[in-house]
Amino acid sequence: MILELLIGLCLVGAVVVFVAPNRYASKLAAGWSLLPLALSVFMYATFDGQSNALLGGQLAYETMVSWVSLGPYALNWHVGLDGISMPLVALSTVLTTAAILAAWTPIEERESQFYGLVLFLEASLVGVFAALDFFVWFVFWEAVLVPMFFLVAIWGGPRRKYAAIKFFVYTNVASLVLFIGFFALVFGLGNSINSLDLPAIAQALRTGQLSAVGGVAPETLKVAAFVALFAGFAVKVPVVPFHTWLPDAHVEAPTPVSVLLAGVLLKVGTYALLRFNFTMLPDVARQYAAIIALFAVVSVIYGALLALAQQDLKRIVAYSSVSSMGYVILGLVAYTVYGVGGATFQMISHGLISGLLFACVGVIYNTTHTRMVGDMSGMADRMPVTTSMFVAGAFAYMGLPLTSGFLGEYFVFLGTFGADFPGAPWFTAIAMFGIVIVAGYLLFAMQRTLFGSFGVETDHAGSGAVTDGGERTHNGRRANGGEHEHGDVISPAAAHDIAPLAILLALVIVLGIAPEISFAMIRDAVSPLLAAGGGG
Amino acid sequence: MAETATSTVAFAFEVAPAIAILPLASFVIALFAGKYLPKRGALAGITATGGSLLLSLWVMLTVAGGAYYNEEIYTLVSTPDSFDLHFGLLLDPLSALMLVIVSLVAFLVHLFSLGYMNDEGEPGLPRYYAGLGLFTFSMLSFVLSDNLFMSFVFFELVGLCSWLLIGHWYREDAPPSAAKKAFLVTRFGDYFFLVGVVAIFATFGTATFAGAESFPTLAEEALAGSGGAGGELPTFGLSAQGWFTVLGLLVLGGVLGKSAQFPLHTWLPDAMEGPTPVSALIHAATMVAAGVYLVARMYGFYALSPTALAIVAFVGGFTALFAASMAVVKRDVKQVLAYSTISQYGYMMLGLGAGGYVAAVFHLMTHAFFKALLFLGAGAVIIAMHHRQDMWEMGGLKNKLPVTYYTFLAGSLALAGIVPFAGFWSKDEVLYEALVHGLNDPLLLAAYLMGLTAVFFTGFYTFRMVLLTFHGEPRTHTARNPHSLGWSVKTPLVVLGILATVIGLANMTPIAEATGLEIEFLHTWLEHGLEGVNSEHYGEVLETVAGYSAAELSPLLAAVFSLSLALAGAGLAYRLYSGDRPEHHTDRLGAAKRLLTDNYYQDEYQVWIAQTLGTGVARASDRFDQGVVDGVVNGVSSVSLFSGDRVRRVQTGIVSNYATLLTLGLVALLVGVGLAGGWFL
Repeated sequence: MILELLIGLCLVGAVVVFVAPNRYASKLAAGWSLLPLALSVFMYATFDGQSNALLGGQLAYETMVSWVSLGPYALNWHVGLDGISMPLVALSTVLTTAAILAAWTPIEERESQFYGLVLFLEASLVGVFAALDFFVWFVFWEAVLVPMFFLVAIWGGPRRKYAAIKFFVYTNVASLVLFIGFFALVFGLGNSINSLDLPAIAQALRTGQLSAVGGVAPETLKVAAFVALFAGFAVKVPVVPFHTWLPDAHVEAPTPVSVLLAGVLLKVGTYALLRFNFTMLPDVARQYAAIIALFAVVSVIYGALLALAQQDLKRIVAYSSVSSMGYVILGLVAYTVYGVGGATFQMISHGLISGLLFACVGVIYNTTHTRMVGDMSGMADRMPVTTSMFVAGAFAYMGLPLTSGFLGEYFVFLGTFGADFPGAPWFTAIAMFGIVIVAGYLLFAMQRTLFGSFGVETDHAGSGAVTDGGERTHNGRRANGGEHEHGDVISPAAAHDIAPLAILLALVIVLGIAPEISFAMIRDAVSPLLAAGGGG
Repeated sequence: MAETATSTVAFAFEVAPAIAILPLASFVIALFAGKYLPKRGALAGITATGGSLLLSLWVMLTVAGGAYYNEEIYTLVSTPDSFDLHFGLLLDPLSALMLVIVSLVAFLVHLFSLGYMNDEGEPGLPRYYAGLGLFTFSMLSFVLSDNLFMSFVFFELVGLCSWLLIGHWYREDAPPSAAKKAFLVTRFGDYFFLVGVVAIFATFGTATFAGAESFPTLAEEALAGSGGAGGELPTFGLSAQGWFTVLGLLVLGGVLGKSAQFPLHTWLPDAMEGPTPVSALIHAATMVAAGVYLVARMYGFYALSPTALAIVAFVGGFTALFAASMAVVKRDVKQVLAYSTISQYGYMMLGLGAGGYVAAVFHLMTHAFFKALLFLGAGAVIIAMHHRQDMWEMGGLKNKLPVTYYTFLAGSLALAGIVPFAGFWSKDEVLYEALVHGLNDPLLLAAYLMGLTAVFFTGFYTFRMVLLTFHGEPRTHTARNPHSLGWSVKTPLVVLGILATVIGLANMTPIAEATGLEIEFLHTWLEHGLEGVNSEHYGEVLETVAGYSAAELSPLLAAVFSLSLALAGAGLAYRLYSGDRPEHHTDRLGAAKRLLTDNYYQDEYQVWIAQTLGTGVARASDRFDQGVVDGVVNGVSSVSLFSGDRVRRVQTGIVSNYATLLTLGLVALLVGVGLAGGWFL
């Protein structure tokens, strides 16, 4: 029942915070979010799952309660964790706390509603990762959209309405498509299943129980369902060309929401791809591996090129997420332990690092009120700690060894290069070029914003241009003259701004040095998938 | 590993990880406590690198006693059905030698920094010492690596440290830009390296350097067709030999980047924006050596592919000449040294490619000492000149800075290759190896000739530098009244000055050949070692697999060639620049000078690729994305918006309305699907 307790804690917290007075909301939410965080850490530490959740074997924290019977299908409350979902649940709780702390400074109105929605979002995300019944899963899947919609639409930037509606409509249409795709399979399975239990469906599909529906042969049905599911999840990931909602949503969303959006919401898409497409229909995935790999490689390179063209720090990180998620897809296609395990590890790693980078951008934005690369320079002098975190996060994003960012990508490359789909070495080698482009745009952005002589231009009320380059440089070689008028506008970040950055960075480094902390359980959950999927 | 399998592992090997961990500790201390410490972290760094040096010497002594070590010490990831990723130590003559070089130079540079950074009242000292500590840790770990994965890890980390330290003075515009360029250019090379590492894993299932299950051994077995595990390797559609050549060339990408070889050399001159002790440590003696060291470390693999070797040699010979020609016209003393560094690493590559493994390692060692000396000497001059670096503003410093002058002169004689200074012996041996193998291979011969021509240029630019800096009349007020130097500056100069003078005696091949004495100590040193990773084995492989054969030729003859060219270059410099008021003779080169000062427009085309082409494609992608990809999305939605204009009233902004609609929609969907699926029948 511990998993129900976890979801329940988030939900109760959401209600409590929602009705609390605004002035206490931030601290209450932060304090409350420590409860699910502590619980998930406890669950992580005592995790004893052995196998893949959909393919039988021992799960952790599993509950199966018969709920209602709907026609020929029983609906069960079936939740449980394996080595793939456990790290993602922990990631959700960590990032929720980080996002709440990151919201203290920028969120200044309707706080209780904001934090209430964030906790509700946490409950939905944990639910998506924990659910093992399609109905339960779909309810949580859709429930994620609701708080996200309001968080962007109410607390967002100038074009928040457009961004929120685009996000909502786009992902909802995707949900419809995947829903149809899934039910095509359900009907194809006919009497071989009597519930929407995901493990039962996965095992039935893998043992070839699919029969023709309405004159459509099972093989065709499989491929059609695969395409529908893939398209539905691809929007969430997002895979190019379904990605255009993402930069709009990120740019308009308040930064703490971006932390969750990039950190966890995108992983919901890749997680679903892994669970549905790659676990339930492995033969289709293997048959069309090269085409899927093409989508992955295009996402990596095209996403990175788009990031290179941006001037807004948030857009840079947003597009780079498209690029990074491409690696996840590439790893999944490989069907090797490093490929699929690496893809899962990359989900965790990218969640932490993109969260870290978005939070850094947020801290800078809080004081400069601009995110444009061209509007600021020399921030390192004024915000030394934030700068250090930004630099560390950016290098982790570039795949610096001894950070999780390196291992996530490296595992994927290792797993994919020798994979047995046609052209695997070529796809891998081309995708790997992403590590050069990512270094290009992040180094460029850092050089422009963090280094050089200090100066900020912003239209934020009360400031205007702020420059201060008067500090002594090296041995008087060249010191910039500067005005001191608004020097006090830019100030170092507060401790509660830095805390989430430090926590995320610590996790990134710990996972980079001791990846077994999560890779061990991921490997256990991934192995059955590879062994059983061998046929192709 | 019969040699290591003695029942008691030497105690020196058990504490060997501390060689790397001590500087890591100094990094942590400087980073978190540096601002509270009296010297802002310098003392922690000096203590740590001093400790590393002592431990390295101890390891060297143990290795000299015939004990080696090749063990995993930390497993990052283990997978039952696939390969493991681990960190381990490989302690043999090569790595022991390199450990001593790196820790010694790091120790001296830390000491020198007291004078160069602390005494000059620099801000940001904790950051500086943290960077140095992290660098030393990474570099030593790189040297200790027993497998290519670990090498890559620390290869990248030294790149990070290089970025941090080049950009140390981040308030100015040039250093951050130079740091970015250095990281990007080397990253471009590392991309190929990473593909190579991944491909080596995919091919061999391992990336260890030494032992029966190491990838060079497996590759050798595969080529020999002797069955075993190496019998049926995946070679991705190529012949085994062809695929191994591809793998070697992929790894070479990283080598070209880090060791600043053509065409990826362009970052190194810019990297001189960093503090001069950093230039000495990272951009001359150690990090730049990482590429060459890597080739030496996996030489058993390169020796299998004559094509890869020939490319290594040719690139090396070309770079040696190309860079030396640019050094001739530079005004900034650090720029001369930067191009000279590129050129000297070219020699090492030439040596490796020509089959002169020992010669290349020898030159790596002597160069580390004399180039660190020259950079630190230049640093001393820069302190004295109140941070001016233009040689035309100097002159006449000889009498004001005698210690600096004589040590710098020793380093210059070594660089120019004048007998009996260190560089003579090592460069001469590289050229000798290239010549004897080149007589049977035209490509190698071409590489040799380029390397030989570069000797003349080296002699010229070296003495032009010495004469302009120290001789003649002082040309500026600062040069007449230089800043005085402290003991922390002079001590490293003296130590390195002695080394630059005598270290060449470790391997006097021409003398040995002429007299028959057994004084080729480095040859003897590198001949022993673990099975499959020693110069004796490499020699056999070169002959049997790569088909290298050496012509009979006296080393004395080759030595006479190169020494006379070096003297000619030095003599020309002396003729042109020795007066009290030397002229700008390079002006007479006319358009050629322009070409040389602009570095053959190498920077221009690379910047063009990175900026115009790179951002051009990026902008075009962005327009395509906004216009076409997102255009389609918006187009679809405006069609539906047009038809559903009235539905817009749904957007009331009232939370409960949305929630109601959402729930209703979900229910309708379920009911619809349920009806279609016949749930309610």
